[in-house]
Amino acid sequence: MKKLIILSTIFAFLYTSHLHAKTIRILMETVPDTRYLQELLPEFEQQTGIKVEIEAIGYVDMHTKLVPQLIAPQGSYDLIVVDFYWVGEFTKAKWLMPLDDLVKRDNINVNRYIPALMNLVGRVDGTIYMLPFYNYSMAMVYRKDLINDPNEKANFKAQTGFDLKVPTNWSEYWKQVEFFTRDKDNDGKNDFFGTVIQGQRGDCIAMHWSNFLYAQGGRYNANNGEPLLNSAAAISAMAYYKEAIAKYSPEGSASYCFDEAFNIVAQGNAYSLTTFNIMYAGFDDPKSSSVVGKIGIAPNPGGGLNGAWGWAIPNSSTQKEEAWNFIKWAESYKIAKKRAMLGGAPTQSKIFNDPDILRERPYYPILGQVLAGAQEFPVFTYTTEFVEKVGRELNLAATGEKEIEEAMNAANKAYRKLLVKDGKL
Amino acid sequence: MDLTIRRRDQLFGYFLTIPGLATLIIIIIFPISFTILTSFFDYTLITPNHDVFVGFENYYEVIEEDYISDSVVTTAQFVFLTVFIELIVGFSIALSLNNIHRFKNIYYLIMLAPLLMNPVVVGLMWKMILHTELGIINYLLKIINIHRFNWLGDNSLAFVSIIFVDIWHQVSFMTILLLAGLSALPKEPYEAAKMDGASGLKCFIHITLPLMRPVIIVAILLRIIFSVKTFDIIYIMTKGGPGISTDLISYFIYRSAFFSLDISRASALSVGLLLSVIMFTLYLYKNMNYTNKHG
Amino acid sequence: MIWFLKKHQKNLKLNKINKFTSHFILILFSLIIFLPIIWLLRVALTNKVTAYKIPPEWATLNLNNFTEIFTNNSFTNYFINSVIVSIGSTAIALPIAASMAYAFSRYNTGGSLLRIIVLSTQLLPPVIIVLPLFTLYLKINLLNSITGLILAHVTISLPFLAWILISFFEGNVIYLEQAARVDGASRLQAFLYIAIPVSSPGLIAAGLLAFILSWNEFILALILSGPQTNTIPVGLSSFQSHRGVDIAPLAAATIFSIIPVFLLLPFIKKYLISGLSLGALK
Repeated sequence: MKKLIILSTIFAFLYTSHLHAKTIRILMETVPDTRYLQELLPEFEQQTGIKVEIEAIGYVDMHTKLVPQLIAPQGSYDLIVVDFYWVGEFTKAKWLMPLDDLVKRDNINVNRYIPALMNLVGRVDGTIYMLPFYNYSMAMVYRKDLINDPNEKANFKAQTGFDLKVPTNWSEYWKQVEFFTRDKDNDGKNDFFGTVIQGQRGDCIAMHWSNFLYAQGGRYNANNGEPLLNSAAAISAMAYYKEAIAKYSPEGSASYCFDEAFNIVAQGNAYSLTTFNIMYAGFDDPKSSSVVGKIGIAPNPGGGLNGAWGWAIPNSSTQKEEAWNFIKWAESYKIAKKRAMLGGAPTQSKIFNDPDILRERPYYPILGQVLAGAQEFPVFTYTTEFVEKVGRELNLAATGEKEIEEAMNAANKAYRKLLVKDGKL
Repeated sequence: MDLTIRRRDQLFGYFLTIPGLATLIIIIIFPISFTILTSFFDYTLITPNHDVFVGFENYYEVIEEDYISDSVVTTAQFVFLTVFIELIVGFSIALSLNNIHRFKNIYYLIMLAPLLMNPVVVGLMWKMILHTELGIINYLLKIINIHRFNWLGDNSLAFVSIIFVDIWHQVSFMTILLLAGLSALPKEPYEAAKMDGASGLKCFIHITLPLMRPVIIVAILLRIIFSVKTFDIIYIMTKGGPGISTDLISYFIYRSAFFSLDISRASALSVGLLLSVIMFTLYLYKNMNYTNKHG
Repeated sequence: MIWFLKKHQKNLKLNKINKFTSHFILILFSLIIFLPIIWLLRVALTNKVTAYKIPPEWATLNLNNFTEIFTNNSFTNYFINSVIVSIGSTAIALPIAASMAYAFSRYNTGGSLLRIIVLSTQLLPPVIIVLPLFTLYLKINLLNSITGLILAHVTISLPFLAWILISFFEGNVIYLEQAARVDGASRLQAFLYIAIPVSSPGLIAAGLLAFILSWNEFILALILSGPQTNTIPVGLSSFQSHRGVDIAPLAAATIFSIIPVFLLLPFIKKYLISGLSLGALK
């Protein structure tokens, strides 16, 4: 009799807990960080009894898929990840739920995040809408085997009078770019390049060129908000960009985006590349790179473009409390550390100092530097339109179709118009 | 007596079209009316409502939009070239297929393959093949000592490249239609012509072409319509660049709707596109049918 | 008599040249079309670094990508969904479109205006109708369902199917029908038992094109379907990310989405490539 009671109780418990097993749905991007999270999901489900369904699709289509779901009063997704690009748009449209109350209620310390990231995908105009999930700020990757090669060192010193080392300022870098562009098989055409430009019209060139802007000490906005796309720094940055396309980068660079450029370096045909830091791991993967172990990473002189994704709860979510539980769990130090150990790109400062992590990923201190010096990209309601318009002008200038000054002025005008439209000026 | 038969004909006609019309009305007419309606309001993703009526303002904005006339011209050139070349190539293939016995199935399967490929993958595949440094085409050119081409990074060359990729992808559409048309042709006229000693070319011009007219017209019209909607290849391969050399109108509209968040402006653009293509189609159709009835 | 034999020989020779030219054209275009696909197959059998290696390396070929897409990427699900949606929407759209086309052709129902209106529903870029369609589906609760997607695909195939079929209902088949009517057949009988069989090449061709259109359709599938009902095109998009393009698994997935339709083909080729003796250039 006792056994029966115990068995029925257990059965009843299991049955009711199954009945109440909620499922939250998350839309995420198909990146390694998502996969690492998926591997750790069973822990969450065990702890809380909440089932998690992650729908992962490619980046290019996420925005298209999200928008209708966010407009609807009740959407299919209880939790989403937001690219920094869309932050201005999503918050202006009031699609995201403010998290301040929940943060306060559950004592979440948002200072654990790197400040630059919290500003990018955390707070908007003082209100907390997201918690940073992973970062993809831009940094410079370079061939460390070449920098350490004694022959190269000697030749470089002889040619330029400077030592060959990891570049810390722009003119030093540019000398290296020039030095390494060469014709290895003597067929009259360069086949090894100092750098690889990602000049494809649109977000490719906009994001890549930003690094050139920051390296010249330029900014997108002055302190009073006025756009600075036609400043001396911007024009100088575009002049360097054009020079790179003409002399130091492969011929099709004006149409390259991140993947094409990655492949040039991965095939061993270029010295350096400014790209997302998350692509760095790809260089050490024998399935996609033939320069395994030869690539180093360093901050872009002047600062690199900051990029990240943040967790957010849409207002159209039907299970906000459960979604919040998930965020708390995924961002708890234990889980964030596990994700980083698997290879994820962290957002919390403490992780960069954790001894276990430093052992697994010795380049993390550099990554910390990259994040510390990362620069802001203009994020406001019309960021995507801004990227389109400016991306077009940048590409016109880079391909020589428009004079640099004319194109930068046009870009600046377009930017200003959008700032006014958004009420920022 | 005659009237009753005609009346019955008409009724039967309606009976046959009702299911189709009903489906179209329910699913498509609503979005179309929504689009037309929205083009007269201020509807953005930030303010997704029909509160603010703005009349024709969206249309004025569209006309004044930077580079829109370039986009229209580029699209017109693209459509004309792809449809024309596809017609010629497709017809040659269809005629050849119709003319032989052996390996017919194999050829047909091969022709069909590109059409079965997702346009996104077609774009990615050709981006890989046409990569200036790492693509197989430039490599082969290098081996036979021909200068390398900047397929997607040079303005005029990029335009040629996307035309080629589109033709590669879509020519089977024409082939399938034209082949089906050819196989439905009757034997008698050809046998009669053979008796009279007519050559192959004469048969083609005076028998095949006129009999195939309905199918050819439909194939051209449909291809034009699909060609105007070409989007994925641009999005994957060039994003409208370099510069504005491959900025087709469908990509233009996509940027308005989803990048600018301005659904009302994108709607105005679409309505403009819709009207122009309808008028053009009507013109083509009426003209071709007119000569048909009298030909 | 001799004249006749001489002419016959001349005809045979012309015939041979004719056939040779045809084969030549076909081989030429087959190569242009198929070589890139062979290249894609090669990529599917290697990995990213080998795919981009210049000069090309031929050593390592394996089936890893194919197994990967089925275990890691729920590709089986996408595939099944695509099959259901494409066959379903074609099967439904074809009879409806055939009826409409017949009415347009025989009885000129609605005149040119109705035909143009029907066709014009195809003219809007899909991205524009996505938002209102989404709202509509939300209201009638068809979101994230296979039925909803099938219905949406029926409506985009319908207009162009109808237009294609109109041209196949014109021609000799009219006389055949008239003869049948004289013998006492009703309109419906003429339609079902004469028009449809005689136009079967057109019907099959149109059905094939509709299937392909549905198979490759992306944006409606993206917006109107959920995780359980995603189709292949949506699945393929997951191979692109901020980490770059996973070209090798993508190639494998693509090859895999082409093959099954090839298997389907022998069944319909009977109707498709029929009538070799009809209308050939002898």
